[in-house]
Amino acid sequence: MSNSAKMPHEQIVKIKLNDKQMRENLRTAMHTLQKNRLNLVENKFNDWQGLRQRAKQAKNNAIQSLGERLVEFEKNATKNGIKVHWADTDVDACNIIYELIKKNNVTKILKGKSMASEEIGLNHFLQEKGVEAIESDLGELIIQLNHEPPVHIVVPAIHKNRYEVAQIFKDKLNAPYEEEIEKLNSIARTHLRDQFEGLKMGLSGVNFAMSKEGAFWLIENEGNGRMCTTAPDIHVALCGIEKVLETFEDAATMVHLLTPSATGQFIPTYNNIISGPRKNGDKDGPKEVHVVLFNHNRTNMLAHEDYHEALRCIRCGSCMNFCPVYDKIGGHAYQTIYPGPIGEVISPNLFGMDQNSDILSFCSLCGRCSEVCPVKIPLASLIRKLRANKVGQGENKAFGSDKLEHSKTEQIAFKLFVKAATSGGIWRFNISSAHTFNFVLKTFSHQLPVIKNWTKYKELPDIKGTLYDKLKNMEGVSYE
Amino acid sequence: MNKKVYLFSTCVCSSAMPQTVINAIELLRLANVDVIYKKNQTCCSQPSYNSGYFEESKKIVLHNVALFEEDESLPIVVPAGSCAGMFSHDILELFKGDKEFERIKRFSERVYDLSQYLHKVCQVNYEDKGAPLTITWHTSCHAFRIQKCVDSQKALLSQFKNVTLAPLQYEEECCGFGGTFSIKEPEISNAIVSAKIDDIKHTGAKYVVAGDSACILNIQGALKRQNSDIQVVHLYDFLLDRIKGANAYV
Ligand code: SF4
Repeated sequence: MSNSAKMPHEQIVKIKLNDKQMRENLRTAMHTLQKNRLNLVENKFNDWQGLRQRAKQAKNNAIQSLGERLVEFEKNATKNGIKVHWADTDVDACNIIYELIKKNNVTKILKGKSMASEEIGLNHFLQEKGVEAIESDLGELIIQLNHEPPVHIVVPAIHKNRYEVAQIFKDKLNAPYEEEIEKLNSIARTHLRDQFEGLKMGLSGVNFAMSKEGAFWLIENEGNGRMCTTAPDIHVALCGIEKVLETFEDAATMVHLLTPSATGQFIPTYNNIISGPRKNGDKDGPKEVHVVLFNHNRTNMLAHEDYHEALRCIRCGSCMNFCPVYDKIGGHAYQTIYPGPIGEVISPNLFGMDQNSDILSFCSLCGRCSEVCPVKIPLASLIRKLRANKVGQGENKAFGSDKLEHSKTEQIAFKLFVKAATSGGIWRFNISSAHTFNFVLKTFSHQLPVIKNWTKYKELPDIKGTLYDKLKNMEGVSYE
Repeated sequence: MNKKVYLFSTCVCSSAMPQTVINAIELLRLANVDVIYKKNQTCCSQPSYNSGYFEESKKIVLHNVALFEEDESLPIVVPAGSCAGMFSHDILELFKGDKEFERIKRFSERVYDLSQYLHKVCQVNYEDKGAPLTITWHTSCHAFRIQKCVDSQKALLSQFKNVTLAPLQYEEECCGFGGTFSIKEPEISNAIVSAKIDDIKHTGAKYVVAGDSACILNIQGALKRQNSDIQVVHLYDFLLDRIKGANAYV
């Protein structure tokens, strides 16, 4: 998303915080997802922590040998009859897909859910070329009809309740206003059946690719994904290079963690393992299968001593489900396709610090995301490191950092803070005057209209007495 | 012979809740522990560290580490899980690859949250002299996830027979303080603390006990603004009150 389309940070925060309906929908939905996950992890798994450790290891192995994995995947996939394409940038990836569309005289493609396609801006790209890209995932369909980006990486329309969905279907599909979930499903189904007809090309994402097998794994709940990958003649799968693992077992470990973390489901409804196009004698399946492996700045992250850890992400969404900020402001407030804690880490890394680093303040560093992340990404600590890059510190900064302007007042504030905090005398003086003026807040008053920002919503404490005189006179205490 | 510890009293506690520091020392004294208070101690550096000012933070940490190196056999006890977590865990990350790393590591291994020290090292046994009371408990994020001392905090509380704990439904959710977060994103911070307050009100308790002064300032500040008379009490103030039967919280 380019800067020009973005709203100022404070403005979008305000708008989202004031959207009571969205907040209530998210609050309920996130608590439900949290509860489902916790129940499942507690009751169905003997060794969840061990599984996380194994997954982390398997992903690390794959990432550390990524060059090898990719070559192996290409070799084995080609053997299986899959055509492998390479894209360095987001635009390259869009172009490759567009070339396939042109070559086959396609005017309309049907899509299964794919965050990768959102990342490269595929729908918009194709629209400009006059090609229609229709979403078949229910959540994606809802927001596409309503011209919104996904609010969440797993449940893209989770901010809408069923009454709002009923209204969208009524307005956009001329459907009768129905509030029952079953009836809403049936409206979507009927609409999509029409779209599936005469379909030539389907597009999907990839959950995990397996280099040893030259195959890839797609999970889904609605069956639409299977329609997109098997009904049309041509199936194109869009795959970030970090999705390539080594073995089938490694991928199975990830799947075991993915749905419980995402929605609290033990297993996905559909597991699609795609190992090539229709073979001689097969009655169905696509005639061509293409995989577009794209980089889009992932190799920068790979080369970074800290940020490479975020390449383990399996896009389960758990970190946002548990984030105290996410459910208050919703995914759209981040103004980038990846919201929540993982978004704070990868969006600046993929799109540039100059584009997305404003979202680094959407974090209280409570650490709950790192606690639930199935592949143990230290999200809070990576966010903190990106903050350091943002203020011009740290070696090997995330790209785009050099284009950022630094707040001189903030730098000065912290210089003063260090001066006080490395001198016992100044410090004691400040603390001793705290009862007249809150010290901790005052320290930062150069940086921000601090007191005002605090007292907008919260009272300052009543401070009674000072510390040091009492300490000096206590028995058993040596004050030295 | 009495045990002996260094006390690191933290900036928020020292400035805004000095009585809590005194009470923390009293609890140590009751457990026959002598206390050395290094008067030049300052702050654990979280305000700058969490804002990304790593170089500045290192200077602050080194200033404090030097003060506690005189006797490396003594533990360093901290009455706030968040600052304890900074000193026992996060500074290892801050100094990764730094020439001072080994020194920092030695220091970090001596750090305890006061609740851990009382519960695990002193193995205190408290008698409840207070009147029956229902409270709720706020779990602080860094105490829980970094210093991992909430078990000890709850174990201490559970020794008080007349205290009934009405747990929060979303106990493991942040209160929205987050250090500089609360002043950089005041609106979001307020939304988070308001959710916390709803949860607190649901328990019906008049007192919220918590082990981190920063969370206390945050929750109490917002409660007051919302004209609630619910009080947030520091764990150590609460423990001492019950031990003495002072009944300040009824
Ligand atoms: S960072 Fe972890 S929790 Fe968040 S989406 Fe990725 S795998 Fe899931």
